Amino acid sequence: MDYIKKQLPDSLAKTGGIMLAVGVIILVMAFIFTPERAFFDYLWIYLFMVSISVGSLALVALEYLVGATWSTPFRRITEILASMTPVLIILAIPLFFGMHDLFHWTHTEVVENDAILTAKSPYLNVEFFIARTAFCLLLWVMFYFLLTRNSEKQDLDGDPKYTKRNVTLSTIFAPLFVVTITIAAIDWAMSLEPHWFSTIFGVYYFAGTIVAALAATTYASVKLKEGGYLDKSLGDDSFYSLGTLMFGFNVFWAYIAFSQFILIWYADLPEETFWLIHRWEGSWKFVSLALLFFHFVFPFLILVGRNIKTNIRALKWMAPWMLAAHALDLYWLIFPTLFRGNASIGWQELSFPFIIIGLSMVVFKLSAGRKNLMAVKDPKMQMGLDFHL
Amino acid sequence: MSLDATYTRELPLVEGKTSFKEIDDVIARPTETKPNIKWFIAIGISSTALLIGAVCLGLTFWYGVGLWGNNQPVGWAFDIINFVFWIGIGHAGTLISAILFLFRQKWRTGIARFAEGMTIFAVMTAGIFPVIHTGRPWLDGYLFPYPNQHGLWVNFTSPLLWDVFAVSTYFTVSFVFWFIGLIPDFATLRDRTTSGIKKAIYTTLSLGWRGSNRHWQHYERVYLILAGLSTPLVLSVHTIVSFDFAVSVIPGWHTTIFPPYFVAGAIFSGFGMVSTVLIIVRKVFDMEHIITVNTLEKMNKILLATGTMVGYAYSMEFFIAWYSGNPIEQFTFINRAFGPYSWAYWIMFSCNVFFPQLFWFKKIRRNIPLTFVLVLLVNVGMWFERYVIIVTSLTRDYLPSSWGMYFPTMYDFGILLGSFGMFFTLVLLFAKTMPVVAMSEIKAVTEGAQPSHKHKHE
Amino acid sequence: MIGKILKKFDEKFLKSEPRTGELYAVAALFDTPDQIINAAEKVSGSGYKKFDVLTPYPVHGMDGAMNLKPTGIGWVGLIAGMSGTFLAFLMIWWMVEINYPNIFGGKPYFNLTASIPIMFELTVLLSALTLVGSLITLFLKLPANANPLMDTDFIKRVTSDKFGIYIEAKDAKFKFEEVNALFAELGSSKVSNIHEAVYDIGDTNNPLLNIKFIGVLLGTTASVVVITYFVLNVLLFLPPFDWMQRQPKVLPQTQSEFFKDGYSMRKPVEGTVARGFMPYEFNGMPDSMVVITPNPLPVTKKVLDLGKKRYDTYCSPCHGYYGKGDSRLRGQFPVPPTLHSVKVANWKDANIYHVITNGQNTMPSYASSISRDDRWAIVHYLRVLQRSTNAPESDFETK
Repeated sequence: MDYIKKQLPDSLAKTGGIMLAVGVIILVMAFIFTPERAFFDYLWIYLFMVSISVGSLALVALEYLVGATWSTPFRRITEILASMTPVLIILAIPLFFGMHDLFHWTHTEVVENDAILTAKSPYLNVEFFIARTAFCLLLWVMFYFLLTRNSEKQDLDGDPKYTKRNVTLSTIFAPLFVVTITIAAIDWAMSLEPHWFSTIFGVYYFAGTIVAALAATTYASVKLKEGGYLDKSLGDDSFYSLGTLMFGFNVFWAYIAFSQFILIWYADLPEETFWLIHRWEGSWKFVSLALLFFHFVFPFLILVGRNIKTNIRALKWMAPWMLAAHALDLYWLIFPTLFRGNASIGWQELSFPFIIIGLSMVVFKLSAGRKNLMAVKDPKMQMGLDFHL
Repeated sequence: MSLDATYTRELPLVEGKTSFKEIDDVIARPTETKPNIKWFIAIGISSTALLIGAVCLGLTFWYGVGLWGNNQPVGWAFDIINFVFWIGIGHAGTLISAILFLFRQKWRTGIARFAEGMTIFAVMTAGIFPVIHTGRPWLDGYLFPYPNQHGLWVNFTSPLLWDVFAVSTYFTVSFVFWFIGLIPDFATLRDRTTSGIKKAIYTTLSLGWRGSNRHWQHYERVYLILAGLSTPLVLSVHTIVSFDFAVSVIPGWHTTIFPPYFVAGAIFSGFGMVSTVLIIVRKVFDMEHIITVNTLEKMNKILLATGTMVGYAYSMEFFIAWYSGNPIEQFTFINRAFGPYSWAYWIMFSCNVFFPQLFWFKKIRRNIPLTFVLVLLVNVGMWFERYVIIVTSLTRDYLPSSWGMYFPTMYDFGILLGSFGMFFTLVLLFAKTMPVVAMSEIKAVTEGAQPSHKHKHE
Repeated sequence: MIGKILKKFDEKFLKSEPRTGELYAVAALFDTPDQIINAAEKVSGSGYKKFDVLTPYPVHGMDGAMNLKPTGIGWVGLIAGMSGTFLAFLMIWWMVEINYPNIFGGKPYFNLTASIPIMFELTVLLSALTLVGSLITLFLKLPANANPLMDTDFIKRVTSDKFGIYIEAKDAKFKFEEVNALFAELGSSKVSNIHEAVYDIGDTNNPLLNIKFIGVLLGTTASVVVITYFVLNVLLFLPPFDWMQRQPKVLPQTQSEFFKDGYSMRKPVEGTVARGFMPYEFNGMPDSMVVITPNPLPVTKKVLDLGKKRYDTYCSPCHGYYGKGDSRLRGQFPVPPTLHSVKVANWKDANIYHVITNGQNTMPSYASSISRDDRWAIVHYLRVLQRSTNAPESDFETK
């Protein structure tokens, strides 16, 4: 191993902090002028952060679960990205104040007069909802601490028992992750339209989450490699699998999206189709088409070739592209509830990129702190660095 | 990849120090020796089953599908259950040979050839069912869009037609993928056989392959691309099969999770069947050091993962049925668990969700006899899953006045038995005429097979 | 009997008499992958072009050691796949939008969503088949069972457990002693000479004119033609395929043995009404008894265009294009009164509708030729004609 520990520059946190501050100011102003819209923006931010943080945690668990070695050089970076999980707890609190603006089913007078909503009220009620979200958050945070603590302890002595423990933890975490991410998707995104339902919805959000998490790790890894923070012997070939997984899960996302679409379109049942119709009315049509081309068609054509995935400069562009695509995906999921008939982008939505980017930079720097940016004594590390196509 | 206890080294894929010659001898031996009495007994049983099925099929052609138990409201029963069941089994083969290849999981090498063969035989078996269940099978040519004297085309909007394209494509692509993989092995057999007629056959089949690296270069790229094509293909085939049900409006059928649920279920049932057959094969043909316990353990892990995915899908269906507030949807699921066919539901649930959970325990994963029992249960459970989905939903859908029960006839059972007979007969024939392990691939992953220093000019 | 046939095969295929042709190549066997990589590098580095490495499985790094150009077969797959997508799309679109449109499930004739599964399958199918076909025929140039390496001891080892390299005698730099020395230096375990075989292949001036080849070609063509004819023109008319041709149903205008009166075509049952039929309640009644209902159609350009079209088709032969009665049939047929008269102008729409439906004097009922909506559209158009000859002042004001 040829790793020299180099601390991330303070400018990362400084720039991040400024962006975060700007974003928060925009958001606060949005709350003052258009509070309902501000809550939807906030939800957008929250769901994106869940994708990145919990998705990264899932990637860490996945590596342990399948015994992959190519990803070991990148795992610490993914762990640092997952450190946003505890931040989610703080992020979630303002959201609870917005439930009345976001969710139709919190309006008791509406529910009383609606047989369907009344039937759902054992699940869709404020108390149980908050309890579920709290449960998911606590579970994610608990596994974040357990997994990363073992990984960091291993930096000291390279004892394989930490790997063994993390394999066990990951095996337990995997099904729990699937269940909790489904709950998060159903509660926070699907129940925006409480009359609508789709059994594949959890899988849909999961697919987008994994793509986003892979993109985040890819981007962070490329930037760190270029900055000389990683092992000198880490070759471009190692990035190939990151690119391939991103490509593959993106195709999986498109597959899930298409499955949902074709089944609802084909059966043409009004109780289901209205959700899609809302996303085709007026200028929403263009958002849907943009999602198709921007999230699937163009990335597919670009990433399908073999050579592009070892070109880390190309990956440095494609990774943020996929992150932006995921943001668009979440916008498409969330905002038609607020904007019926036509999509809308305003100054309030600027809070999204500023807060996301700023918060990520700040948390990344704070979490990276004094840690090694690679899992230096991980027994699989050498095999990972030796990886060649 | 299989790592040792220190997590620093890969475990060897072929156990013990084996030379290439020994590998050739072990793998080619079944093709070079006369079958023993066990093989004859086995093929006797499978051929009898096949014959019974053929007789039932012949009678069905003559008298019509009224011989079956299909009625109103259950217009689809054993015919489609068997179709989905066998197609699902085919998927494991493609997953092992193509998808695990793409993930660079070398442990697939010992089982890939066999699994691919099983895919082809399973798809052949499956393909019989759409053909025979059309009522007038001699008109099945009209399933393809060719210019005919009626000036008619096919209904491109129907998933049943998508199935025609999907299954045909799946069979064709699997077959060429399998054949391409066999070419180097046919060459090996050609060069070591001592029988003139076999030499002639292998010469023809190997196309004059010489092992030239100029050829290997193109060959490997094609193999990679075919693997890359087969992966979405296998996902698409079972997705389209799931569309047969999901595009309808029947409660219990129309639900968006069907495509990934069916794919996961197909891989689950397919691995169950592959494990079942491999456990037998490795014992009978002395290949325990090539098809190792590590390999079987990995397969059991995949069984656990896909079984859990299937369990997730069951839970989602159940939850959303309640969540939807749709009383008909809710009734469907209560009916499945507590109605007249609840026995089928609980067989399905226990075999697919409950018993595979035993694979969490390493001791059980590495225990061959227990594994054998569990994977047999997986096969049973997955057959019953299709029974539950198809038959139970159809017996009781929207209008209670249209409800009716379903009872299979002996011809249904006969044809089901015959499908197993056909599959196992083909497998047994394959095992004696062709190498069940890819000789060239397994040699390439033994220790010391690749050069020790890496070259930069790839 | 079977034994005799098997013996024949043994004799034909297992013989291995020494070959008598000229030297084709010198071949060397090696025992380890490191050795063969080294050998490939040295041979390639020495400038030999016509050489090849044979291995029982692909050895990593050999492509680079031999200085091979990267394979371009991937492009074949990509282009074939994209053609598959496009062809599938074109096929479906043409069949359901142009050639024989049908409404299925209330969906539009052609829908992209429903076509995606088949487009995807044909992409994969075309890509795979083209790849494999071109791999075998174009890239590998197989089958090549006449290659001099076949049936040599050399090849019997390289398809099993050894690694081999050979340099062809036709190579520009080939010198027998040099090559042997090189192989010995590289540590070969066995060097052998590969000779061409001498075949009796007859006159090969133009292989296309070879009698056997032409014979096989003609034979294949003939059998394909015969089989196709037989299947399409004979087999498909035999039972069970002909079962649909003998149907116990009645055809129009034929005799019937079932009904007493011998007619196969029957009148509708007393009291039944044809689907979509709406009786006109003022049938046969005079004008004065018509209950005035408003025109149900809006006055839009679409409706007026429709009205114009129908008017020109059905009304203009007698009434003329402008409703003045100046028709093409003038002189040959009673001229109808002008439709711009005060009487007609004062009629309500329902009265005009009544005349079209009921007929009046010489004018027959047009109820069976013009649908109810079309009649109302004609009425609107007629109002346009009337307004054109009797426009109010406000119509001429410029804005």
